[in-house]
Amino acid sequence: MNDKTASMKRNRAISNGLTYVLLVVISIIWLFPFFGLIMQSFRSYNPAVEYGGMVDYIIPKTFSLDNYRFLFSGETNFLLWYKNTLIIAVFVSIGQTIVVLCVSYALSRMRFKGRELLMRFWLILGMFPGFLTMICLYFLLKQFGLTQAGAVPGLILISVASSGMGYYVCKGYFDTIPKALDEAARIDGASRARIFFILTIPMAKPIIIYTALVAFMAPWCDYVFASYVAFGYDKSYNVAVAMQRWVWTNDYQSYFTRFCAGGVLVAIPVTILFIFLQKYYVEGVTGGAVKG
Amino acid sequence: MKKKIFAFVLSAAMAASLAACGGGGAASSAAPATDSKTAESTAPAETTPADVDYGTGEIKIWVADNITDFTKGKVDEFMKANPQFAGYTVTVEAVGEGDAAGNVITDVEASADIYGFAQDQIARLVSAGALEEVAPENIDAVKNGNDAGAVGAATVGDTLYAYPLTSDNGYFLYYDKSVVKDPSTLEGIIADCEAAGKNFYMEINSGWYNTAFFFGTGCQLTYDTDDTGKFTNCNIDYVSDKGLVALKKMIELKASPSFQNGSSVGNATNAAAIVDGTWDSGAAQDLFGDNYACAKLPTFTGSDGKSYQMSGFGGFKLLGVKPQADENKLAVCDALAAYLASGEVQLARYEAVGWGPSNLEAQQSDVVKADVALSALAAQLAFTVPQGQYPDQYWPLATSLGDSIISGELTTSSTDDELNAALQSFQDTCISYAG
Amino acid sequence: MAEKKNPVGAFFGAVGTNIKEIGTTFAEGDIKTKLSYIIFGFGPLLRGQIVKGIVFLALEIAFFWYMGSFGSTYLSKFSTLGTIATEKVGRKTVYGDNSFLILLFGLLTIIIIAAFILIWRLNVAENRKEEQILASGKQLPTNKKVLASLLDSNFDKTLLALPMTGIFIFTVLPILFMICVAFTNYDANHQAPTNLFTWVGFENFRQIFDFGGSGMGSTFFAVLGWTMVWAFFATFLDYFLGMAVAILINKKGIKFKKLWRTILVITIAVPQFVSLLYVYKMFTNDGLINGYLLKWGWIKSAIPFWTDPMLARITIIVVNIWIGIPYMMLIATGLLMNIPEDLYESARIDGATPFQMFRSITLPYMLFVTGPFLLTQFTGNLNNFNVIYLLTKGQPQSMNLVGNAGRTDLLVTWLYKMTVTDTNYKMAAVIGIMVFVVTAVISLAVYNILPSVKDEEGFQ
Repeated sequence: MNDKTASMKRNRAISNGLTYVLLVVISIIWLFPFFGLIMQSFRSYNPAVEYGGMVDYIIPKTFSLDNYRFLFSGETNFLLWYKNTLIIAVFVSIGQTIVVLCVSYALSRMRFKGRELLMRFWLILGMFPGFLTMICLYFLLKQFGLTQAGAVPGLILISVASSGMGYYVCKGYFDTIPKALDEAARIDGASRARIFFILTIPMAKPIIIYTALVAFMAPWCDYVFASYVAFGYDKSYNVAVAMQRWVWTNDYQSYFTRFCAGGVLVAIPVTILFIFLQKYYVEGVTGGAVKG
Repeated sequence: MKKKIFAFVLSAAMAASLAACGGGGAASSAAPATDSKTAESTAPAETTPADVDYGTGEIKIWVADNITDFTKGKVDEFMKANPQFAGYTVTVEAVGEGDAAGNVITDVEASADIYGFAQDQIARLVSAGALEEVAPENIDAVKNGNDAGAVGAATVGDTLYAYPLTSDNGYFLYYDKSVVKDPSTLEGIIADCEAAGKNFYMEINSGWYNTAFFFGTGCQLTYDTDDTGKFTNCNIDYVSDKGLVALKKMIELKASPSFQNGSSVGNATNAAAIVDGTWDSGAAQDLFGDNYACAKLPTFTGSDGKSYQMSGFGGFKLLGVKPQADENKLAVCDALAAYLASGEVQLARYEAVGWGPSNLEAQQSDVVKADVALSALAAQLAFTVPQGQYPDQYWPLATSLGDSIISGELTTSSTDDELNAALQSFQDTCISYAG
Repeated sequence: MAEKKNPVGAFFGAVGTNIKEIGTTFAEGDIKTKLSYIIFGFGPLLRGQIVKGIVFLALEIAFFWYMGSFGSTYLSKFSTLGTIATEKVGRKTVYGDNSFLILLFGLLTIIIIAAFILIWRLNVAENRKEEQILASGKQLPTNKKVLASLLDSNFDKTLLALPMTGIFIFTVLPILFMICVAFTNYDANHQAPTNLFTWVGFENFRQIFDFGGSGMGSTFFAVLGWTMVWAFFATFLDYFLGMAVAILINKKGIKFKKLWRTILVITIAVPQFVSLLYVYKMFTNDGLINGYLLKWGWIKSAIPFWTDPMLARITIIVVNIWIGIPYMMLIATGLLMNIPEDLYESARIDGATPFQMFRSITLPYMLFVTGPFLLTQFTGNLNNFNVIYLLTKGQPQSMNLVGNAGRTDLLVTWLYKMTVTDTNYKMAAVIGIMVFVVTAVISLAVYNILPSVKDEEGFQ
């Protein structure tokens, strides 16, 4: 008996040891690009010290804050782009959450004529690729005066307006809240609206945070439609639109390290927020995966 | 010419009635019957304030990021010298040449009134209705003041559509003189790079750079255009022994471990030589430091044993004015564009950011002549072909050809038949763009 | 699922009943009802139903104002998409018809007319309902009650009004518009406002299935083929590897579970345009990876990660694993905990190896619960723009493909390039429709064979 436990223990220790090795290797692979990104961002920009373009080594010859200094110096509108992105992200996050909650509640709790039809119709709409309608959306926004100088509110409007179709996860969550609670409240004379605000919303905290978090993260990566809507109006750019130019166009030579520095600045708040709210994110994606 | 004058008189008569529907609030009620005189000079800084009411409005300019501040300064000087245009506010936005053309074509209405672009976009811009003809009063000054290549680049059919800005959109060789001992032959450069374990950069999957090989062996590829920017005819002989020699050389170059596809100093690593243009001269100086050197492109030995001088495009940057529904505004735009493209401003631009002028007088100035990069470009100029008009689809097509080499679909072991088939397909597609 | 009827028959049946009811309402209705056929809300207004009456009337007025000021001009040009060309008057440009706006607003007008007919029908039905209530001797609800119902029995209307309007204007209308564009010649040479474009029927669809010289047929199917291969690998590799990592982390006796998870999760948190652009640079021929391998003498010449078509595809799939594993790891972690521990315990007593337990307990369970998720992942990957575009932009291109398509282009990145680079909107629209068809067919086919097609009411 003792022998057996001992060998089992030994086996377990070996297999755990292997697992640790594997996990460490995986962690290195996963973190390596970010490590590289951060290292590059600390390269000097002064040609006398170290050349500022791309290089094929990872550890800078000298560490300096040149790139960060550049971003904050006002030589570019980086701070403005950052502010734009933050504004868009915050408002999109609030707007989408409200819309998704409304739609989910209506579809989960109310039974009305055309409900099934509506859900199926939205499902079909979702199968069209989003880029298809880009040009049309641009001209629609232009009719409202929400391009170029008005691009920031325009982008918020577009993101919020069509967010109702992304109700799946949230509705799935509402479906799991027992209907008996609603029935009890209705017997006490509460209206649907009252139930929604007093009963359902407080119980939906995890899914609200999940929805808001996902909505908040998306605008940081929008370089396609945002560049369409800003249409060459520099002050309306978001960070993604502005910074992809530093990598993809020839107008910006040796901006690569600056791109890295900008990337680090963009990644920090989003990553911190994400890690902070990870628990809710897991709950959301897991629930969404099971419900489909 | 007669037709134009007639049209102009007609327009002046109709202006009063049409202004209301076209220009909206910006159009003033005064018929601009006399403004043909006032906007005549190419250096409006010296014109006397006229009695014409140009009304009010906004003018938007799109130029590359690195000349935004410069352009702002020059616009301010222009507005100060021309109080008659005081009703207009001018804004300058940083929109790169590639983006500018793309944006203008997507939505002419919302784009800048004056914008800089690389000449390869001109036919596309004309056929999309995004370029106004150069004002009649400025034509002579543009044609006489700039080098012939630049004027040709700004001309579609027989019509002058844009103001030449620079004449430096060509390429040559930047190299590290501690590595590359003799930049006169391609084989020598490659050998030096391989020996030192350094990279040689050339963007062979670009329709712009690959002509260094094709034109070098004597091939030709040009298009004829009509006045509306439509391509009517393609002159090409890539399917030939000359074309084959060029293609084989590109394949051979790619086979070198030192070869890297690319033409951007900022993205080059471990480079010892790079085929690139003047816009990268600052970055190249940073990269190579004390070993910075420039030269004309090298010669290469073809598969037929003959030696060829690498050729290529001499290209130009242009400044365009978009069509306007308000004649007054158009007159202001014309005057402003003519000023920004004038010799004096071109020289100032060279001094500020190093863009090589297209203006003949500016080219002759001492500072320009002393520039290392521009001298290399000038040496290369003897072997280049001024870049004419090419259909927009040509560029990605050439990328496909280059990618076929880089991705190993065409290799040193490909038979002549296979290579000829690729050239045939390329040539046929080129021809299909015309007519 | 509701029982299936013949949808066409049901539709015509419904139309018939409606027309009949409109007739009887008119024949049996009083003068208020009859006048309501022309003046919306007339009946409700006179019967004291002020709120409803005003809404109907306001909608009617708005409709006629829209048609008079705006809609009719666009509608009348809809069949030709404009005939007046832009011309020059001297140096001045006088713009003619704008085909784009005519198509867009013509379409909008058609939809508004349809909505108007629907409102008219509702208006008739409302009159009928009120008459019936009054005839049966009951009271009509007070205006206050009507308004209050919007927060109670009609709360769904309040909740859905704005989202549905938003989706209509910014999703439905643009999609209908682009479907129409697929039947026009709207491209770089027919660009509003300077040039007109017009209807061309099925010409563009013919071109995408044309396998001749300049036809896009072979390219289309090459791109489609890679799109499917990509979606398959991107979905299933991530799925199984993600599950494996989750099992590793959740293994008994492994410490710092939260730390491992957080490390992986960073790839989700960092915006992809930062992380993927950097990864792209890492793997270029002159990038970091090749640089070190060369320096250490492991390779003689750079590995063409992005320039060799086959290698580029493999690299993309591998990088996507880097992106995709964390998602799957999170999901699997949550789900694995739901599997009752005693199942494993009894298997262990029977002497099952860990692999056998995985195959007969974990995998079937996971596949069952995540079936719909796999489907959405697959269709999502069909349209996974970011990973492809930020890494290769679809390159390398090839002489064997037309339309500037590259060897790693998905249909959706090809569509993007057509829209933005070539302004070839007509073909972009056709490809967009094709993407839709592919997605719909796959979804429908897979959905019907899924074991866990959800029983929606079951949870409640």
